[in-house]
Amino acid sequence: MATTITPPEDKSPRIQAGTRPPFYRDTTVVKWIVQLATLAAVIFAMLFLANVAGDNLALRNISTSFDFLSIDPGISLSEGIDTEPVTGGRALWVGMVNTLRLSIAGIFFATILGTLVGLARLSNNWLVNKMSSVFVETLRNIPLLVQIIIIAAILTGLGRVTLDSGPYPGWLHITNKGIGVPRLHVGDVFYQWAVVMLFGCVAAWFIHRNRSAVRDATGRDTRPVLTALATLLVFGIIGYFIHPIFSFLDGPLRAISDAIGSIPQIAVQLALSVLVVVLAANWIRRFLNSRRTPAGLAKLTDDDYFRMIFAALGALVACLVFLRLWPGLSDWLINSTSDLFTVLADKFGDSREAITEQRRAAAIAADPEAVLGSGSPGPFGFEQPNIVKRGNFANYGTLGINMSVGFAAIFLGVWLYTSAFIGEIVRGGVLAVAKGQTEAAMAVGLKRSQALRQVILPQAFRIILPPMGNQYLNLTKNTSLAIAVGFSDMVQVGQTVSNQTGRVLPVLLITMLFYLACSLTISVIVNWFNVRLKIVER
Amino acid sequence: MTEIQSALLTVDPAIAEALEEANALPPEQPSLPPGEWIRKNLFPSIGGSILTILAGAFSLWVLRALLGFMFSPARKWEAVWTNMRLLMTQAYPEAQYVRIWVSLGIVMVLAGLSLAIFRSGGKISMKRLSTWLMVGGFGTIAAVLLTPHNIESAEAEEPFVERSFAEALGDRLLWIIVGAVVAGIGLAIWYGLGERRRQIFVPFLAVIYALLGVAVALLWVVPFGNYAFIPESADAPSEFVAETGVTVAETTQTPWTVMWLLLGGAYLLGTLLRNVIPGNIGKVFLNFCWLLAPFVIYWVIQRDPAFDWDHIWSTDVPLFAAFAIGGGLLLYALSRPNFGEMGRLVAAGLLAFSLFNWVAAFFGWYDDLFGLYEGFNVLQKVRVSFLLLALAALLAPTFAGNRSKRVQFAAGWIAFIGVVHYVFTVVNTPSTLEGIQADTFLGGFNLTLFVAIFTMIFSFPIGLLLALGRTSQMPLFRILSTIYIEMVRGVPLITVLFFFSNILPLFLPSGMDLTELAAVVIGYMLFSAAYLAENVRGGLQSIRRGQFEAADAIGLTTAQRTGFIVLPQALRVSIPPLVGQTIATFKETSLLFIIGAFDLLRIGNNIISQQQPFLGVRKESLLVVCLIYWVGSFSMSKYSQKLERRLGVGER
Repeated sequence: MATTITPPEDKSPRIQAGTRPPFYRDTTVVKWIVQLATLAAVIFAMLFLANVAGDNLALRNISTSFDFLSIDPGISLSEGIDTEPVTGGRALWVGMVNTLRLSIAGIFFATILGTLVGLARLSNNWLVNKMSSVFVETLRNIPLLVQIIIIAAILTGLGRVTLDSGPYPGWLHITNKGIGVPRLHVGDVFYQWAVVMLFGCVAAWFIHRNRSAVRDATGRDTRPVLTALATLLVFGIIGYFIHPIFSFLDGPLRAISDAIGSIPQIAVQLALSVLVVVLAANWIRRFLNSRRTPAGLAKLTDDDYFRMIFAALGALVACLVFLRLWPGLSDWLINSTSDLFTVLADKFGDSREAITEQRRAAAIAADPEAVLGSGSPGPFGFEQPNIVKRGNFANYGTLGINMSVGFAAIFLGVWLYTSAFIGEIVRGGVLAVAKGQTEAAMAVGLKRSQALRQVILPQAFRIILPPMGNQYLNLTKNTSLAIAVGFSDMVQVGQTVSNQTGRVLPVLLITMLFYLACSLTISVIVNWFNVRLKIVER
Repeated sequence: MTEIQSALLTVDPAIAEALEEANALPPEQPSLPPGEWIRKNLFPSIGGSILTILAGAFSLWVLRALLGFMFSPARKWEAVWTNMRLLMTQAYPEAQYVRIWVSLGIVMVLAGLSLAIFRSGGKISMKRLSTWLMVGGFGTIAAVLLTPHNIESAEAEEPFVERSFAEALGDRLLWIIVGAVVAGIGLAIWYGLGERRRQIFVPFLAVIYALLGVAVALLWVVPFGNYAFIPESADAPSEFVAETGVTVAETTQTPWTVMWLLLGGAYLLGTLLRNVIPGNIGKVFLNFCWLLAPFVIYWVIQRDPAFDWDHIWSTDVPLFAAFAIGGGLLLYALSRPNFGEMGRLVAAGLLAFSLFNWVAAFFGWYDDLFGLYEGFNVLQKVRVSFLLLALAALLAPTFAGNRSKRVQFAAGWIAFIGVVHYVFTVVNTPSTLEGIQADTFLGGFNLTLFVAIFTMIFSFPIGLLLALGRTSQMPLFRILSTIYIEMVRGVPLITVLFFFSNILPLFLPSGMDLTELAAVVIGYMLFSAAYLAENVRGGLQSIRRGQFEAADAIGLTTAQRTGFIVLPQALRVSIPPLVGQTIATFKETSLLFIIGAFDLLRIGNNIISQQQPFLGVRKESLLVVCLIYWVGSFSMSKYSQKLERRLGVGER
């Protein structure tokens, strides 16, 4: 700044030390006067606007009551947990759930793709590097809305659904009805496989400890993580074939369930009461210990006494609740635990096959012409999307994940768009880690991959997290563009409801509050991580 | 650039140019031989090779799909070329179209002058130029050869088209020739110059200008847009029918040539002027012109206000003169360093008076006092002017200094109030445009630009105030700003726009009227201001505490400290995020589509596909809309990166 500043020659009466200046020169007073005047102006403006709005609303006969929440809005939604909501509130709830589903899926997949893209942009491989930079520079410079509309235009321009719609029938259907992909499906024998994996985890843990010890002792690179993962893989593969050997667990689990079911209610009540009393006594003991000084017990304040009395009273009240006021709690504990084991037992043994058959029969009964996806007899597998023919027209069935055109457009849109931004954040975060860190890692003999995994990425993660949270927020807000492609998200449902019921103002208020709540939730979560990951400084 | 270098820049143009060259041209690295390069960058190891092959296959697949889409016989690119005018300006009347060209001409002149006076653009070596030409030429040929000759598609309306390879090549022969010519020029430069290709440099701007020249020349050769719009008739005033006739190229070739010449002429003029004009005057004047240009272009040229010259000479000009001269003298007097308490008293009195004016207007006390100024607008202008004068008077002690500083302050006030009065008069004068309503002269890309530009212009001061409020030490300001910023940032833009387009009219007192467009721009502005405030806050927080303490130590007031010490540094740091915010605003203008405005996206998506010859054509026009947005955002982001390097953020 080239301006030369001449200090103003102050000709005002000299301020004597110790005396206050006149009130109109007293910065504290002036600042408060200005602030209060501004506040008054803001409040006045708001009151004035509210007044005008009230008059206008009355003039145009627009109601602002929230009664539409419990009245049938007479709308049907294109998709969601309830396509024929019976009340306005229910309709908005469907919209919220749709938005949340979209956001969560978007955040999950955008994080994965974005990280890959960001790391690819740091790659030494020229082709991979250029590909990801083309991806980023293309997607982040085109408005998301235009991208969404293009995806929708491409999808709606595609051919009709036929029984052999592709490109990969049974795995990927892309037609003018949307996109069908397989769903990861957990079979009933999954739990038997999980038992095998439980042993696998134990074995992997032992191997990891052993290999680490050898490495620390001899300095050889024994690859503890890799070996442990290999162990898990071996167990997984073996378990895939031998899992039926654990079907005998059926009996023991059922026995445990019966045993729990036969516990008398009073025993649980007493156990809970004893637990609470012990906890309270323990807390008081530790509290007294904390007040103990080398010279003996410090003098307790009234506040301290109150705390202890409250703890004891709390325990007594809890006992009263357990024993007298809410005996159902103990019942519920007994029954639910017993049921849990029954369910687990059902997953083992012979009964499971009956259940699987039952479900399959039910699916076929519901949809007789269904070309059922192959499913899988194993512990897990893919539930393939299916296409069924009702009358003359083929359409997507109920299996797999079938995204409507609207959902596919908005989901692909926010996913790819946010991925591009996250890619830049990841790249920036890695580049922001001081170069000395890489050099130091190399100097102590780490390999490039090790340096990346154990030195660079943990530090980059701290830098990445806050902007990443911002991107999650943006993604959530960007899902509101779904209205352009007719997916029933919060904003779209809100518009439909307010058109039907005429309650523009309340609906918009609810919509904004919903997004505010979402933003706040994401901020709180990100901040929580941020605080936990912060480098602890002195 | 270091401080010394920038000091030198203002001293000697010759040294400056030498320095600029040194900055622009890093020494060219001797490049690896091709075999070595490929081995190092593509096939360094087995894993790397596999990755390269997979990535190569994937990118080839995507490229082929894209090329297949573009070259498919089912594509109707003609729809886009024909509707260029619709995409750009929507329903701007045919008879008045010269106004659009004049607007563009102003931009061209300003751009040419700026490029010259700001000394933009570096130089590139002939080697690099010929490499680009060869890459472009051979790339075109490769792309044509890669394009699938059989077009198969899962799309409903375009069936499988079976063609032989030769047949398909025949269709695209033109592209092969173009590619061969471009590559040939590149080869000729490469081998013609020999080793000297590394030493000969050409200005980058000249290359770009030549490219633009080629584009303009193409208009004279290739008949783009083989349909033309019938002038609107009385039968179908709002319907746009396309039929074969005059091509779009024919109607635009002359104006575009003029534009091209204007750009070059303005650049040459700028190169002459930049050595004549002393100091920063040229740059300051150009920046002022850029700021004023949108107001002139949109309200005077494109809207063609029906000025009532009698009224202007009898009322508007004297009013301006009174405020300019009276206010200028007052401020000149008030900014005398030893004015003391009197100045504050005068300023406070003025503030009280102007606030009283608003209260009086609110209760309608003197509606019929000034019988000779019939109309709300003049009184409104007076009220606003008084308020601004009072605020300037409050600021006067901040600008206290020697005579030249005080003259600058007074002159600044005169320029400022001039702009304010000008905008007031122009905005309140109705349009004379025939055939369309006064406030719907905007449409297409023109509307997009309008919203983006005015959102940025108006949201900047609001955002600045909010940022200052949020970092202020006065708790009430801090709380109010924080609540506003966080609330706005927590909701999606589309809800804000719905609010302003549907609900704002409910909050307006009777008699006050806002067009939907104005309401929407206000929505954009208030939304953008919250984000802008966060960007500026980042800059404000990067200022070290020592700066504040130093300012306090030499006895600056809070306003002086903020205006002369803190803000200049903070804004410099926040320029890159501010450009980012501009890009975001530019992209967000696409949301006009959702609230039903006839912006670029709506025309590309809905309007073209309803025309009789192009029924259902959407993807082509949408792709072009994409391209327009992409070029705008991408060039801005490249500019921001350059700016970041030049400002040396994080290095100084």
